[in-house]
Amino acid sequence: MRRFFSLIAATAAGTMMPAGHLNAQIVDYATLGDAFGEPITTSVTGKPQRASEAPAAITIITHDEIARSPARSVPDLLKAYTGIDVNRWTAGQSDVTVRGGVQTYNARLLVLVDGRQVYLDHYGMTNWNLLGVQLDEIQQIELVRGPASALFGFNAASGVVNIITTGAGAGSHFSGTAEVGTHGYARVGGSVTVPVSSTIGLKVTAGHQREDERTIPSALYQPPRTRHVYADQISASLAIQADASTSITLDGGLTGNRQLEFLPSQILTEQRFRNQTVGLLVNRDTDWGSLTGRIYTNWLQADYGITTPATDPYSSVADLRTNNRITVMSGSGLIGLGAANTLRLGAEYRDNHLRSGSLFSDRIGYQVAALSGMIDLHPTERVAVTGALRLDHLWLDQGGTPAAPQIDPVSAYQRSITPISFNAAVTAQVSDHGRLRINGGRGLQLPSLISLGLRVTIPVSEVPIPVYFTGDPRLAPVTVWSVETSYSHDFGSGINFDATLFYTRTENLVASPGGSVDVTVVLTPEPIAVTRFANVGKFESYGVELAASGKISQNLNWVLNYSLARIDEDIPANRDVTLYALFPKGATPRHRANLSIDYTAGGWSAAALVHLASASHQSSFLPSTELTMIRVPATVTVDGKIAKKIGANIAVYVAGENLTKARGAYGSPIPADRRLRLGITTKL
Amino acid sequence: MGLVFSISMLWPAATAPSAVLNVPVAARIISFVQPTPVGLIPIGIVYQPGNAVSEAEANDMERTLAGGFTLGRATLRTRRVAVSNLGQLTGTKAAFVTTGLRAYQDEVAAVASAQSILTITADAGCVVAGKCIVGISGASKTQIIVNKAAAHRSGIRFGSAFLMLVKAV
Repeated sequence: MRRFFSLIAATAAGTMMPAGHLNAQIVDYATLGDAFGEPITTSVTGKPQRASEAPAAITIITHDEIARSPARSVPDLLKAYTGIDVNRWTAGQSDVTVRGGVQTYNARLLVLVDGRQVYLDHYGMTNWNLLGVQLDEIQQIELVRGPASALFGFNAASGVVNIITTGAGAGSHFSGTAEVGTHGYARVGGSVTVPVSSTIGLKVTAGHQREDERTIPSALYQPPRTRHVYADQISASLAIQADASTSITLDGGLTGNRQLEFLPSQILTEQRFRNQTVGLLVNRDTDWGSLTGRIYTNWLQADYGITTPATDPYSSVADLRTNNRITVMSGSGLIGLGAANTLRLGAEYRDNHLRSGSLFSDRIGYQVAALSGMIDLHPTERVAVTGALRLDHLWLDQGGTPAAPQIDPVSAYQRSITPISFNAAVTAQVSDHGRLRINGGRGLQLPSLISLGLRVTIPVSEVPIPVYFTGDPRLAPVTVWSVETSYSHDFGSGINFDATLFYTRTENLVASPGGSVDVTVVLTPEPIAVTRFANVGKFESYGVELAASGKISQNLNWVLNYSLARIDEDIPANRDVTLYALFPKGATPRHRANLSIDYTAGGWSAAALVHLASASHQSSFLPSTELTMIRVPATVTVDGKIAKKIGANIAVYVAGENLTKARGAYGSPIPADRRLRLGITTKL
Repeated sequence: MGLVFSISMLWPAATAPSAVLNVPVAARIISFVQPTPVGLIPIGIVYQPGNAVSEAEANDMERTLAGGFTLGRATLRTRRVAVSNLGQLTGTKAAFVTTGLRAYQDEVAAVASAQSILTITADAGCVVAGKCIVGISGASKTQIIVNKAAAHRSGIRFGSAFLMLVKAV
């Protein structure tokens, strides 16, 4: 913390320097996007690039598209795009999966807000109700399909979502939204931006949301109590123009959330999350490129099974209190080499620790030091070659006295690994309107801190000795290999077509025991039985992604896409009996398609999303503590929104999701319901 | 094949490339100059009286920016400047140079570099020749060309993010 306060002091000192006028974002996404006629991204290589020229499969959802969409959350927005599976397991819990391998607590998609990780390392997951942003303040959402670990590090294994907010700028702005709906839904949120001086801007954002949980079928395990979901958030950002070339952003926020969730073991319990974050970002523009330095810390308190009583058969597994702190320091330089080529060099240090009374010892954690490089070369005007490489060195450690009986030696937690991740791409402008891309890479997902260090007892009536459910410090990172080729064609007048063929191999899958239990007897010296998180196998996914978009008239936009994903899995432990709660093949729909249409005229606007997903099988526990597979039927769902502007600054709207009442709409063992809402939004 | 066919049915006839300056894009480019301009920004529209093409483009520019174009904390205000009277560029921060002024490009460049004026045009030849700083082209896809040497001569510095997105000559 002393180091952090030093940085704050340096920031304050920066405000005393001769200053230019406030222009806090080194990449002004909104203005650059307007100037170049398409969204700008830095999420593929770290350098600003036009979305159409990025050397990877990328989807960018703009501020305007978010405003028009019927969606009310980031996962809802993402589900309309190709190559994406969104499963809303419960009213509060969603998972977003890229190119197959659907599972609860998906750990292979790194999610960031303005480059700051909101992915939660304790369990390797993203709580989409804990992002700490309001939809109104999102400038754009960037989704990269395929490994991105060479730029972002661990856990950008199958993709990355980078949410860019509007930031604290030079002007005064206010936006606010209030919504009420069926199923006890209510949301109020807003953000205000004010200039403190000509060189300092302040933005404050806050929001509250609640809704009722869906009805859980009586045939499935029922949590003892099911309360409403809530999500609270408040954050502040101070943008400072220290001089004509240097901008500093200091931000912090608090988030809180309670929701029912399927754990990786598929046990259904209610959790309470609280997260605090504080960070400092410094950008300096130079004649040869730019320099960026960042430090931030996230503190997470995650309390599991908060309504599960001691008498419940799952209580010993569900009752988990954890505290996770991650501090990240990074620096990078983006260097222009000649007229068209770019080099990016970066370094990063992470310190990540989990504290809990349900671990091998009081504290489990690791440190990571990483070096990375990216080069973007343009040997001709029509060809670009991009390569990125990152080397991470991770030291695993533990602190405190190991809990008795001690199952693993302390030395098992004193290990290090040095994995490499990379990306490579060639893009070629093959005609005036056609672009070909071939790219691939290797991404890495770290085992979660829970899967490395958990230690709880579980009831197994058939085993006459105590059974411990533990993590395993020997777990290897999950490795994702990917190769793809894509052709994009711009037909002019805003009509675009894109076709992608992809192949992905995901190895060393980490899974939680579920269903039947495979135990190993350990002498400590008393005999005990142990079942562990484990590297259980691999799966391959391959398929095609097609997308087209355009305008039928000036006011009518359409987007059509289709994804085919075939999955081949090889999980030896699950061949004869289900020992691990992981089913990438059955849980992933083979076919997905979306049609989005929006129309604007005379102060009215209307938007609709038609979403098709073929059947899948999802797992859930029965009251008898048996794991069962639930068939989720093929579904066609319709979401819609109609809005009317009242004056220049106010709009009212009515929106609905799953208007067709398709019970498989959310891809969950818990059937979907139809939810409607009425809202008012204002921008000043 | 069905999908491709249905797309082609929706594909309107391509518009012919235009040499007229994309004024909203040109206005936004001014915000990428470092330090970021604020307040009232005088813009010169450089044209040739009697040259129909040049006059028509100047009219279009004036119409687009009529009433002032606000971007962040900057508001653009235009004034017409005849190539025969470039002294009227004094006090402007940027000049939108109409096409068809090849014979006057040297004079425009001399005034711009002497007075640190950002010159923006749809005439790519002017940029390639180092007489203008920024060129904007492309009917369906915007292409921006920046002559770094010309920018340097005029003391104009752009943000690095912008420069990484343009074609530098």
